[in-house]
Amino acid sequence: MSVIRDLPRQSSSTSSRNFFRRLGERWLSRRAPRSRDITLNHSRLFILPTRAGLGYLLVTALLWLLATNYENNLVFALTFLLISVFVILPVHTFANLSGLRLQLLGTGAAFAGDFAEAHINLSRADKRQREWIQICWPPEEGAYVDLCEEPSADFRIALPALQRGRIQAPRLRVESRFPLGLFRCWSRIDLDVEFLVYPRPLAAGPLPLGEAQAEGTSGQVRRGGDDYASLKPYQPGDSLRHLAWKQYAAGRDLYSKEYESRTDTRLWLDWELLDGRDVETRLSNLCDWVSQAEKQGIAYGLRIPGTTLPPSLGTEHQQRVLSALALFPKWGG
Amino acid sequence: MASNRDLLPRESLLWIFAAQFVALLPQLSQLPLWIGFAWAFAVYWRLEVFRGRRDLPGRALKLLVIALTVAGLAQTYQRWFALEPMVALLALSFTLKNLELVSRRDAFVSLLLAYFVAATLFVREQSIPYALYGLIATLVITAALAAQLGSFSARPRRALGLSLRLLAQATPLMLLLFVVMPRLGPLWNVPQDTSAGRTGVSDSMAPGDFTRLSKSAKPALRISFDGPIPPPEQRYWRGLVYSEFDGRTWRQGFGVDPRNGGRVYWNSGERPLPQVGPRYRYQVIQEASRSPWLFALARPASDSAGVGETADDRLVKRSPVYSRFAYEVRSWPRDSQVIQSTLSGAERRRNLQLPADGNLRIRDWVERLRRRGLSGEEISSQLLALYNREFTYTLSPPALGRDSVDEFLFDSQKGFCEHFAGSYVFAMRAAGVPARVVAGYQGGEWVSGEEYLLVREYDAHAWAEIWLDGRGWQRVDPTAAVAPERVRDGLESAAGEEFMRDSLLPVHRFDILVKLRLQWDMINYRWYQTVISFDSEKQRDTLQRLVGELSPLRMALFFATPVAVVLFGILLWTRFTGRGRKQPVVERLYAVFCKRMARAGITRRPGEAPRDFAERIALESPPLAEFSGRATDAFERAGYGGDKEALNELRRLLRWRLGLSFRVSARKNRLMGH
Repeated sequence: MSVIRDLPRQSSSTSSRNFFRRLGERWLSRRAPRSRDITLNHSRLFILPTRAGLGYLLVTALLWLLATNYENNLVFALTFLLISVFVILPVHTFANLSGLRLQLLGTGAAFAGDFAEAHINLSRADKRQREWIQICWPPEEGAYVDLCEEPSADFRIALPALQRGRIQAPRLRVESRFPLGLFRCWSRIDLDVEFLVYPRPLAAGPLPLGEAQAEGTSGQVRRGGDDYASLKPYQPGDSLRHLAWKQYAAGRDLYSKEYESRTDTRLWLDWELLDGRDVETRLSNLCDWVSQAEKQGIAYGLRIPGTTLPPSLGTEHQQRVLSALALFPKWGG
Repeated sequence: MASNRDLLPRESLLWIFAAQFVALLPQLSQLPLWIGFAWAFAVYWRLEVFRGRRDLPGRALKLLVIALTVAGLAQTYQRWFALEPMVALLALSFTLKNLELVSRRDAFVSLLLAYFVAATLFVREQSIPYALYGLIATLVITAALAAQLGSFSARPRRALGLSLRLLAQATPLMLLLFVVMPRLGPLWNVPQDTSAGRTGVSDSMAPGDFTRLSKSAKPALRISFDGPIPPPEQRYWRGLVYSEFDGRTWRQGFGVDPRNGGRVYWNSGERPLPQVGPRYRYQVIQEASRSPWLFALARPASDSAGVGETADDRLVKRSPVYSRFAYEVRSWPRDSQVIQSTLSGAERRRNLQLPADGNLRIRDWVERLRRRGLSGEEISSQLLALYNREFTYTLSPPALGRDSVDEFLFDSQKGFCEHFAGSYVFAMRAAGVPARVVAGYQGGEWVSGEEYLLVREYDAHAWAEIWLDGRGWQRVDPTAAVAPERVRDGLESAAGEEFMRDSLLPVHRFDILVKLRLQWDMINYRWYQTVISFDSEKQRDTLQRLVGELSPLRMALFFATPVAVVLFGILLWTRFTGRGRKQPVVERLYAVFCKRMARAGITRRPGEAPRDFAERIALESPPLAEFSGRATDAFERAGYGGDKEALNELRRLLRWRLGLSFRVSARKNRLMGH
C-alpha cells in the first residue's frame, strides 16, 4: 500500500489560505474542544446547501419564471411547495446528526506507509432513525454508517500514516446529506485520536545472527564470528530455539547457545550494526529485522541510543520494541 | 473518478425511472409517439447495462442519438420557442440522460428535470384531477430524490413516507407564500402549442361549425353576478362579430378583428363610459380557448388586467386565453344607453358588404319586397315570419352547396342558428340595412348551490345585429323566430331528441347523473374561484381581509410573525434535543454549587470526588467549610440515598447561603495564607 496523499495538516506553506485555515482550526478548537466522547449538538454542527441544492434552487427559479409568464397558479403552488421543502430541509438534515454520540474505542498502530485505523462507536439515545452518516478524514472516504434499526454501531476508519512517530490525527468530519441530498450538515470533531506509527520496514538483509557482542551497554563493538566461548555442546533436552544453526551449517558439531550473565550471544538488534546509514533507514531496517525475528521465533533485543530492551519474544515485546523505534527522536529535531 | 458511494445502486435507478415515468405519463398523449418509445428503450438499455449485459453507449453513438433526436424534434415541431417543443426537449433530455446515468450527480440532474416536466403539465390543464396528479408526481419525484441516499431510504415505504412528511411539513409555508408572494405578470410573451385543437367559438363561421359545438357539454364560461341577474332572454354572451362574407364563410374582416386593424381600448378610461351606472356586474371565468376572445353582455367594460374593449362592444384579451381566465365585467344593455344616431361611412360600407355574385334568389326576393316599398324593418319582420312559418330548427341540417344562403332559404329550410343568422344578415344587407353576425353563447344553466351561471359549449350561438337609424344596433335572433324555446330554455329543450344524440354516455337522460355532474362542476367552480383565478387583485383583497388596512407596519408584522414563531420553535427544539439525556435534578443542583464555588475562587477539578472537593474547600477557604460540607452532605444523601428531604435542603442551602460576601472572604483568606 503505497498511496501517499498529502494531509492538510502536514502541508507547511504559509500562504494566506493556510493562515485562514489555521485561524479556523483555532476557532474550532475553542468551539469544539478535543474529547474522546463527543455528542453532536447545535454548537458543533454546520449546515450549507450542496451543489445539488443550488441546482434545485435554480429549478425553482425557472419554475417561478414559468408560472409568472403563463400566470399559472398551479405552477406557482408547485414552485412554492418546492421552495418550502427547501426551507424546512436543513432542520431535517440537522436532526439527522444532532444528538449522535461518538466514542473513541481504540486506535491501532501501523507502519509508516500503511493505514492506521481508529475504532469508533456511534450511537443515538433517541428513537430517531439516522441515515447516511459519513465519518472520515478528508479526503479519505471513511465510513458510512446508518443507525436505523440498531441504536449503536462500531466501525473503523483509516488514515494513511506517512511518518513514524506519535501522530495526532486531524479533526474527523462527520457529515450527512440526508434526506434529499440538497443540504450538507457536518461537524469537525476532535476525538483525540492518536496513532503510534512504526517506521516503514526496509529490508536490511538477514538477521545479524552470530554477530554477537559482549559487554552490553558499552559503545565499544568487538566484531568477530570466531568466539565460541559462549557455545556449549548440544545436549538432548536443550531448547531447539537455542541451537547454533550457523555453526552447524558450517560443518561443526551441534552447539547450543549458552546464556550467561557475562557473555552475551543473544540476538541483539543493534543501532551500531547499521553504521553508516542515516537515522530513518536504520530505524526502518531494525523494524524489518523485528518482524523477521518474530516470524522465525528468535528472541531478540533492541539496543538503540537511549533505549535498551532485553531480548524476548511475543506480541507484547514486539510492540514495545516497535514503539521504541517509532518514538526515536527525529534527527536534528 | 466517482467513488463507490457515488455510483448508482439498483434501487436508485429504479426510483429515477419511476419518477421519470410519472412525470412523462400525462405528457405522452401530447408528445410525438417516438419520444415515448425512445424513453422506454433508454430505460431498457440502462437496465441491461446494470445487469452487465451491455456497455454504456460510446461517445460516437451518443452523438448520433443526439443528432437523431434533434432532427426528430425539428421534424415534429416547426417552432422552437413554444411550450410543446420545450416539454418535448425536456423529456428527451432526461431520456438521453438515462444513457449516461452513472453518478449521483447525473441522478440529481435527471430528477430536477423531472420536476420541471411535471410542472409543465399544469400549463396545459389546471383542473382538480390534474392538480392531484401533479401532487402525486411531486411526491414520487421527491421520494426518488430521498432514495438516492442509501439502501434504507430507498425502500418504497420509507422513501414515500419521507417524501410525504416533507411535503406535508412544507405545506403551511407553501400556502403562506401562495397568498403573499407578489405576482408580477408575464415578463415576456410566451408562444403556445401549435397543434392542439381549438375549442369553442372560432374566428370564422361556416355552415356546420356550430353543430360541432352543440355536441360538447364541456363548460365554456362560469359567470357569477354581483347584483341583478339578466333574465334568460337577455343572456347573450357576445364574443365575436362577423362582418365579412365570401358566399360561404363569415369572418371578422378588416377593421373588426383586433389583429387586423380593429380598434381596441385597453384602458376603460380610453372610451367614455355611459353616464348611468352599469346594470350588471359580474365575473366571468373562461375556460382555455387558445384564442383572445372574451365573452360578455353588450356594452361591456372591464378593469381586469390585459382585457381590452373593442369598438363593436366586445372584450378581448391581450394574449390568447391559454389557461382558465377570470375577468370582471360591467355591462350597460343597449336599452339603457343614449342613442347613437350616426354610423360612419366606413362602418356602413363594411356592414353592407356582400359578395359580387351568387345567391341570386334571395337577392331577387329582397329586391321584390323593396320595390313594394317595404322598409328595412318591415323586410326583417317578413323574413322572421317566414322563418317561423316554414322553417325547422335541427341539429343535423342537410349539407349545403355553393349558394348556401339560397339553398337554405328556398330548398332545405332546415337549419341551425348559424344558418338562420347568416341568411338573415345576408338578406338585410341585400335590403340595404347594415347588419352583422354576432357569435358567442346564449343562455346558461343556473347552478343554485354556488350561485353562478354555467355556460357550456353547446350553448354556443350565433345571432344578428342590424343598424336602425335613430335606434342604433339592435339585436335580432332569427333562431328565436323558429325555435323560441332555444332562447328561453336552452338547446336541450329546443333540440329535443336530437340533443347530444351522438354522445357516448347519454348523461343528460339520467337525473342523478345530471345532478352529480352539476355537483362536480360546483366543486370545480370553487377550485377556480379560490385557486386558479387567484391573481394580484385577489391577493390584495385576501391580504386586506387577513391584515386589515395594508400599512407597511402591518405587512411587516404579518410576514415577520410566522418567521419568528418558526425560528423560536427551532430554537426550543435544539435546546431540548441534541443535548443527550436530561440531567437529574440532584446533578443539576450540584453543578450550580460547583459553579458558585468556582466563582468564589475554588474550581472543582475534573474527576474530583464531591467529598474530596468539600475537604479541599474547607482547607482553602475555612469560611466556606460549613456550607460546602452541608451541601455536599445533602448532595450525597439525595444523590445516592434518594433522600427527598436532603434534596430540599440542598435547594435551600443554594438559595440562601450564597452571596457575594463569600467571594470577598475567600480572597481575603487566600491573601492571608500568603
